[in-house]
Amino acid sequence: MGRFEFISGPNFSGRSAALRETMQRNAAGDGTFYIGPYAEAALSGLTSTVRDEVLLYRNVAAERPVFPLPVGDEALLRDPQSLSGGEQVLLALHCFSQSAYRHIAIDTALEQLDPGNRRGAFDYVALAAESVTLIDNRDPPDGWTVLPQEPFTKPAFAIDWPKLAELIEPHAASGLSISGLNFKYRNGKSIFENARVTLEPGRAYRVSGVNGAGKTTLFKLLVGALVPGCATMTLGNETYRPWRDGNRALSLATQNPDQQWCGATLAEDIARRCKALTAHPHVERIDAQRVQALAAALGAASLDTHLYELPLAARKRLSWTWPFAGVHPWVMLDEPTVGQDRATRENLAQYMTLMCARGYGVMFVTHDDEFAAQLPHRVLTVADRALRLT
Amino acid sequence: MTPNGAAVFAIVTLAAAVAANLRGLGTLCFIVAAFAATEVRGPALTALRRSILIMLPLAAFMLAVWVGIVGRSPAEIAARVDGSRLSAFAYAATVSLRLFIIIFVVQAALMCFHNESPFTAIRALTLPLPVKRLVVLTLSLIATLRHAVDRSHTALVSSGVITRRLSLRNVMHGWVLIQSVWLTAITTVLGRVRDKWPAENTLVLLEPALRPIVRPPGTADVIWGAAALTGLAFVIFERVSGAA
Repeated sequence: MGRFEFISGPNFSGRSAALRETMQRNAAGDGTFYIGPYAEAALSGLTSTVRDEVLLYRNVAAERPVFPLPVGDEALLRDPQSLSGGEQVLLALHCFSQSAYRHIAIDTALEQLDPGNRRGAFDYVALAAESVTLIDNRDPPDGWTVLPQEPFTKPAFAIDWPKLAELIEPHAASGLSISGLNFKYRNGKSIFENARVTLEPGRAYRVSGVNGAGKTTLFKLLVGALVPGCATMTLGNETYRPWRDGNRALSLATQNPDQQWCGATLAEDIARRCKALTAHPHVERIDAQRVQALAAALGAASLDTHLYELPLAARKRLSWTWPFAGVHPWVMLDEPTVGQDRATRENLAQYMTLMCARGYGVMFVTHDDEFAAQLPHRVLTVADRALRLT
Repeated sequence: MTPNGAAVFAIVTLAAAVAANLRGLGTLCFIVAAFAATEVRGPALTALRRSILIMLPLAAFMLAVWVGIVGRSPAEIAARVDGSRLSAFAYAATVSLRLFIIIFVVQAALMCFHNESPFTAIRALTLPLPVKRLVVLTLSLIATLRHAVDRSHTALVSSGVITRRLSLRNVMHGWVLIQSVWLTAITTVLGRVRDKWPAENTLVLLEPALRPIVRPPGTADVIWGAAALTGLAFVIFERVSGAA
């Protein structure tokens, strides 16, 4: 019978430290396979193809069932870092299944998986590993030993939700319409073919789809970071071409907060974003005091703190500063709940509902059904190279 | 062609390019073009385009400075003779062509194995394990930087700090991209070094993964090795006869 430990507790209660302790215990033996919270910590970083990543971990002596590879043979020469977050976690599990490691430690990574893959991952590690230590913000699977971490008496980076709600400025977002959207990556993988959808303001949309379907790609297209093969987009009655004219309507909080900063400190980040807005005279401005108040409400002691020195969960929270600032009428949050404890997820759901009520359009990607159920939303499905609204 | 054969071809050609004069470089261009057309084929056009793009700014600068402003070659200046713009042009062409060949050969040699994974090619190289490890870590660092560029670019474009297209804004704020790339890359590397690698002893896994596989040299290795050596011999002959 294996040892299955589930480290529970709120953010900043020392869960990651407890996980590291477990890994150090195993370090004297044959080590622990580690899957960190984001892609960079899930994969080895030593390889540049999926095939090499598998080869690195493969051990012929390993005798356990193989966890399925999340990509087909045609993708074996693809760069593993170019896979979606969920696919990278599944690839890491495949590598574990091929390796000689007996122990596995997972830091919130399974939160990036869709329900089917998540169930499959739990079932697999429970079957194949001698010991599993897991940090996860959702309910523990049956039969696992729960190791609760007590919250510190004075919570760090606490979010002042009432204050945040106070700071929401009403905004009249325009409808966003997309038609004839075609996009494929250079490697030939087609993501959208003649996709169309119309999104109304004052609503929340859950962008849904299996891992690797193209949810994050859609966000990147909407902010102009990727260029579609062809597409017609309108914002209200105006043509919207972010890939040509720049993004003037959507604020994006990325899955990994470290992929969205425009500076080393929050002050630098916000200042650069505000300065960039001068290219769009019609976009609303925000004053420094408001930003300061927002950041403080999100738990930042100072705007001048070096972002990369903060804990990951705190960085994730601060990555919401710009979307919550109310500069853009549409807000897009990619996996906002990854690494966030239950209380934060509940409050975030309420806050997003409030944003919709105040006129914003909200899009979010999440694999957290419990979170999604807490806010009224429509589902925008990305599947079969199309967009479908239900 | 085997990785060892490609490595030998690249190293000998690079050595020849460093030592060659304009005529020698012309000969090397011919050899390298034949190599690319035979061993690399289609993807060689990408290498050609990249090499030209990298070489062009240097060529433009050299032409402007040496032909346009100075009007003499460095050798003529050292010899304290009047000199001519033609020799200045020859000097600029030599330096630019040398850079072009170096960039192109390295890419062409790597592209011979574009259907293989890097580990497969590195395993087949006759190198000591520590050197192979160094190659893997170098490639890992390059990949990390490439991803950092991609992610930082996305962040800065979506926030409007830079634009996707060529713009004055990009010239003004290009340094923000460099700062952002640097911070992203450092965070990524630190994450691996602090958590993933010590927990798993990941670097130890490189030893079995890079265990050598023997690939005996084929006809292509012999032919291109001989061609590169011939090029080198020609370059040396040119230098010796030129000096005489």
